[in-house]
Amino acid sequence: MIILISKRKFDVPVQAACISPDVFKGKTTAEIANMPVTEGNRNLKLGDLFEIQEDNLETPYITINGDAGKVKRIGSNMKTGEIVVNGDCGMHTGEKMAGGKITVNGNIGGWSGNDMKGGLIEVHGDAGDYLASPYRGTATGMKGGVIIVDGKVGSDSGCYLHGGVLKIKGGAGRFLGYHMSDGVILVDKEVDVRPGACMTGGKIVITGTVEEVMPSFTIDSVKPKVKIDDTTNVAGPFYVFLGDLAEHGTGKIFVNKACNPQMKFYEKYL
Amino acid sequence: MTSEVKSVVCPICGCLCDDLEVTVENNEIVKMKNGCSVCEAKMVHGYKSEERILKPMIRKDGELVPVSMDEAVKKAAKILTDAKYPLLFGWSSSTSEAQRIGVELAEELGSALDNCCSVCHGPSVMATQEIGIPASTLGQIRHRADLIVYWACNPWTSHPRHLERYTSFTDGRFEKSEWKSYMQKMKGDASMKKVQAASKRIIGSTIPAMRPDACALNAPPQTMQKEGRKLIVVDVRKTMTADAADYFIQVQPNKDYEIIEALRCLVGDQELDVDTVGGVKVEYLKDVADAMVNCEFGVIFFGLGLTQSAGRFRNIENAIALTRDLNRKTKFVISPMRGHFNVTGANVVFAWSTGYPYALDFSQGYPQYNPGEFTTIDLLRRGDNDATLVISADPGAHFPKAAVQNMMKHPLITINPDMNAISRLGDVVFPTQWCGIECEGTAYRMDHVPIMLRKVVEPPKGILNDEELLKRILAEVRVIKGKNPDTETKAEVKERNKLAPRIEIKQRKKAKKVEVA
Amino acid sequence: MTELLIKNGFVFDPINKINGEKMDIAIKDGKIVHKVSGKAQVVDASGLTVMPGGVDIHTHIAGGEVNTGRIIRPDDHVKDVERKTAMTRCGTGYSIPSTFTTGYRYSRMGYTTVMNPSMAPLEAKHTHEELNDIPLLDKATYPLIGDWWFVLENLAKGDIVECAKHVAWMLDITKGYAIKIVNPGGLESWGFGHNVHSIDDQVPNFCITPREIVTGLARVNALLNLPHSIHLHTNNLGLPGNYTTTLDTMKALESVPYNGKPVCHITHLQFASFAGDGWAHFQSASEEISSYINAHNHLTFDMGQVIFTDTTTMTADGPFEFSLYELGGHNKWVNSDVETETSGGIIPFHYKKNSPVNALQWSIGLELALLIKDPWKMFMTTDHPNGGPFFAYPRVLAWLYSKKAREATLKHCNKKAQKKSLLPTIDREMTLYEIAIMTRAGQAKALGLPNKGQLGVGADADVAIFNINPETMDIAQQFKAARKAFKHAAYTIKDGKVVVKDGEVVNNTTPGRTMWLDVQTKDPCVIDEEMRRKFKQYWTIEYDNYPVFDHYLRVPEKLTVKASV
Ligand code: SF4
Ligand SMILES: [Zn+2]
Repeated sequence: MIILISKRKFDVPVQAACISPDVFKGKTTAEIANMPVTEGNRNLKLGDLFEIQEDNLETPYITINGDAGKVKRIGSNMKTGEIVVNGDCGMHTGEKMAGGKITVNGNIGGWSGNDMKGGLIEVHGDAGDYLASPYRGTATGMKGGVIIVDGKVGSDSGCYLHGGVLKIKGGAGRFLGYHMSDGVILVDKEVDVRPGACMTGGKIVITGTVEEVMPSFTIDSVKPKVKIDDTTNVAGPFYVFLGDLAEHGTGKIFVNKACNPQMKFYEKYL
Repeated sequence: MTSEVKSVVCPICGCLCDDLEVTVENNEIVKMKNGCSVCEAKMVHGYKSEERILKPMIRKDGELVPVSMDEAVKKAAKILTDAKYPLLFGWSSSTSEAQRIGVELAEELGSALDNCCSVCHGPSVMATQEIGIPASTLGQIRHRADLIVYWACNPWTSHPRHLERYTSFTDGRFEKSEWKSYMQKMKGDASMKKVQAASKRIIGSTIPAMRPDACALNAPPQTMQKEGRKLIVVDVRKTMTADAADYFIQVQPNKDYEIIEALRCLVGDQELDVDTVGGVKVEYLKDVADAMVNCEFGVIFFGLGLTQSAGRFRNIENAIALTRDLNRKTKFVISPMRGHFNVTGANVVFAWSTGYPYALDFSQGYPQYNPGEFTTIDLLRRGDNDATLVISADPGAHFPKAAVQNMMKHPLITINPDMNAISRLGDVVFPTQWCGIECEGTAYRMDHVPIMLRKVVEPPKGILNDEELLKRILAEVRVIKGKNPDTETKAEVKERNKLAPRIEIKQRKKAKKVEVA
Repeated sequence: MTELLIKNGFVFDPINKINGEKMDIAIKDGKIVHKVSGKAQVVDASGLTVMPGGVDIHTHIAGGEVNTGRIIRPDDHVKDVERKTAMTRCGTGYSIPSTFTTGYRYSRMGYTTVMNPSMAPLEAKHTHEELNDIPLLDKATYPLIGDWWFVLENLAKGDIVECAKHVAWMLDITKGYAIKIVNPGGLESWGFGHNVHSIDDQVPNFCITPREIVTGLARVNALLNLPHSIHLHTNNLGLPGNYTTTLDTMKALESVPYNGKPVCHITHLQFASFAGDGWAHFQSASEEISSYINAHNHLTFDMGQVIFTDTTTMTADGPFEFSLYELGGHNKWVNSDVETETSGGIIPFHYKKNSPVNALQWSIGLELALLIKDPWKMFMTTDHPNGGPFFAYPRVLAWLYSKKAREATLKHCNKKAQKKSLLPTIDREMTLYEIAIMTRAGQAKALGLPNKGQLGVGADADVAIFNINPETMDIAQQFKAARKAFKHAAYTIKDGKVVVKDGEVVNNTTPGRTMWLDVQTKDPCVIDEEMRRKFKQYWTIEYDNYPVFDHYLRVPEKLTVKASV
């Protein structure tokens, strides 16, 4: 197992796409220390910024201690192994991840899990904006894998979601699941406006509260429970909305009936 | 000595009116014709400001003291090269020629590079990246548009000649001006002066004030049935532009997205479950949708009310989606009302040299782009950069406090003609010429039409223009960097390249249905 | 005074009828000369192929439309970046590379002259600003004037001389090089969301037909003695069954007097050679089209070859782009109409091998190139980036000179398309000599650029040297090795300076020139009050601010033409 300890607090962003079990595998600490990273516009070595220790626990396995809040692209393209970040962690963490696991004991920056295809990201804090959303101008988002966030997530999370599961135990920002076409998003607390805008497929399950659904959704039914994945079902009852009509979509938003009495008026259309 | 200069271009708003006639006496503009009041205020008076910076200055012991140009350039170059991650911001009132050098400087430094569009119409740009944009030049609208929608913008005040040059009050080949009918329903004397001035420009004489009939609010008025161009205004409050409108729709703040979404459904003949959306009755929205579907050529202009309210680029994205949907039934275009005269140019220049319009980063040796990550406010708020250069912009007033505080922790270089708020905070303060008054250069109108700004008067002695100044800073930066050559070996470069994004265009495995069939 | 001697290369110089002879090329001060002194720098080209620098007659690399394409496609750039080096500026690709990257990538493939084929006159300054930032290449650009109101009005009146004067004025004022016509009549109709569907449809509001526009402008072109012919993107482009429109257009152009110089260049022919009534019955019309072309000499063409990749389509043909968008599967659509002049559209597009239509399009382009017997008529392009990005040219070449390469690609194509493809029946494999015609000599000749595309004494010293030994390498068999050689030129020499060596840029001091036509008519178009008034009516900018002023061209090269009106 490799342990990285930041040598100081970073005051400009650090790019360290090399921090990934797949890249470290089979390398000595000296080789790892020699891997290229940048701090701002300076080309440096990983060893310049982090102290690198090795213990003989199971590999591939990376632990990061200290200040990683400005370190971007940790675990990008990762396929196997596990990374544990003890503290905050910068943007684009787990970008294009295909397998393995990232655990963050702190908050995680924006665009994490961007273009993810598989694996698991667990965040024991909050997540920034654009969690699991694709790069600008791209219309295919996360395709597989699971992201679990204990805290809240920023706006535009799960955009263009095409597969996989997001489980958010806190609240969620605006435009949750924007334009999603497949996959599942589960939110336990308050959801800001416009969840599922322009969605064409998939499910958003809100067990917490939401002020309103978009006018372009139409009520479909009331269901007692909903399936999240093969192992989990969530009990309701839920209002089920279909949309987004503006996109001729067939996505579904499940809204907890008990927590959202303001939606009662929809019942007259049933 | 008096001279007249014709076809002068106004370097103020994105309309970039180019028909000004300016009288110059003893190297001073004394009179001008055709410009709006905003233009006159700057071109005849504003540029002669007493706050004009006439010498470069450096902060020494807390005080700004005048220094030679050489010293200031050296100091600026040192700050920029010492920094690990400088940020170059501004550019909206510079010429494209200067912006071009700006990109080169950012590239040489490996810095972040951003323009004012990140605080105004950046969301519009992001929206086009998601969905494209059906647009046209302003002349196309002048010739053909019979339905004009101003959404969350107030051109009467922000772009005073927009209506008279490009939309409702101009004669085109296929559509005529609605000026007369507007005059008939004009109300209120308070705004009469402005109307009179416009009247002078449009028809060459003033029209006696008249009391018009009341403007309809939230109900389809008679004027919607008339022949000729129709004007619809959608806004959160009743503005001067709304007064001119045939139909004004007042929406609740931050509900534009829902309204657009509802309109999209209505245009697509879908029924809605709700009766009101964003404070507007659905039946009124139906009227608007009908007018949109039944026009020959429609246009939506949108302003900061849409880009900067809740939803930001998603609002625009949806407005563009609405426009696209409408193109299935008729001809429709959409256009942002860009503010500063060359903020469009900054996007254009950045894009041709790097592929990206703003929110750029060169720290990796190649251009990266991501609004939210490299946009100025976000960078500053997170405290990511360690030196700032601000050129031809005055962000101090509009930035959140945290951003300004972080900016002030590190050295600040400013380039502005007069002592504005940001220059007062600078550590190195450069003077510069007024683009379009004291120096020429290219600017891009809000519809991407390039126009050459003219030089009308001589600049004060010893003041360089943006382009010359940036070239000197760049040269100095190169001198400093030349002394500390990058010591990377070839093998290291190769290793780094491995981590750079690369082309991965894979054939989809499963045969998908023919996409064109 | 700089001298250079390229020694012992196998020279392919079709204009001077040199077919692979081993010889030396002497260069002095940027020109090809008889001989040089002993002090000349020597480039050892023994065992290498030497050709004139590549010429591209049709590639969208600069201007408003291209740049809007750049702006809307961050997803395209992020996967392909170009690092800054001591010698070069950084940039991004992929299908719409930034300006500097465009210059470097062309140069690395041995290209030295490229033509930007569509420029809205109103936005001409923008195009020229971008061309200035494309290094290492000579450039020129064609203003779009097929739907310009002055042209429509004068041609409708039948006043060809007046029309010619206006066109001359336009070429001058936009610093343009040739008359570009796109979907004649269709773009004006698109102003209100309509289109024309045959060359005899009436253009709404203007009392004119596409036939009259095309033949009228071809006559104008002749009156003005322009070096290139009119450059035409035909009506109904990209629609199934459009080959009949293409044939009609070609026949209509027979009425224009022909004196040995082609009267029209029909561009990206592949997109205009579709048979079948609808996408489900999509067919190749390459036989019909090529047999007409083989029997007639009044036209030239370029391929518009399709590459299987993710690219961006962009054309002034606004209605076409919209109909493409409506087929579905695309997430972005840009339309950009320009007052009084033209329109435009952009859509990102992914050509896929498993799509029956895309795969057949790929086949049609190659069928046309191979079935048209005379390489002086048909040039190699991808209509960058419409068919695919220009740096895929080496792949197109491989398909032309190697049946094996064609088979290797065809076998991965959609089965239906394979059945419809004529490629298995075609054995032709192009020689290096023919490749040299299709990529440089023929294009230069069609463009009327006497100093380009050849290595005769007096020509510009633009040379490309490839790592191909024609004595030892059978390019048809070793197509991959040859393809690699075309991708990374051993040397590219521009104006007598080595700018690329072993596929890397080694010189950054050659900005390249922008060529433009100064057409001198006997009595030029008068800019009187009437014209100014019209100007104010038609455009939203003043007459005084319309021209591309001289300083917009960083390194201008004025070509003076004496018109016969
Ligand atoms: S509308 Fe704008 S560009 Fe025109 S004169 Fe007024 S401020 Fe200047
Ligand atoms: Zn083309």
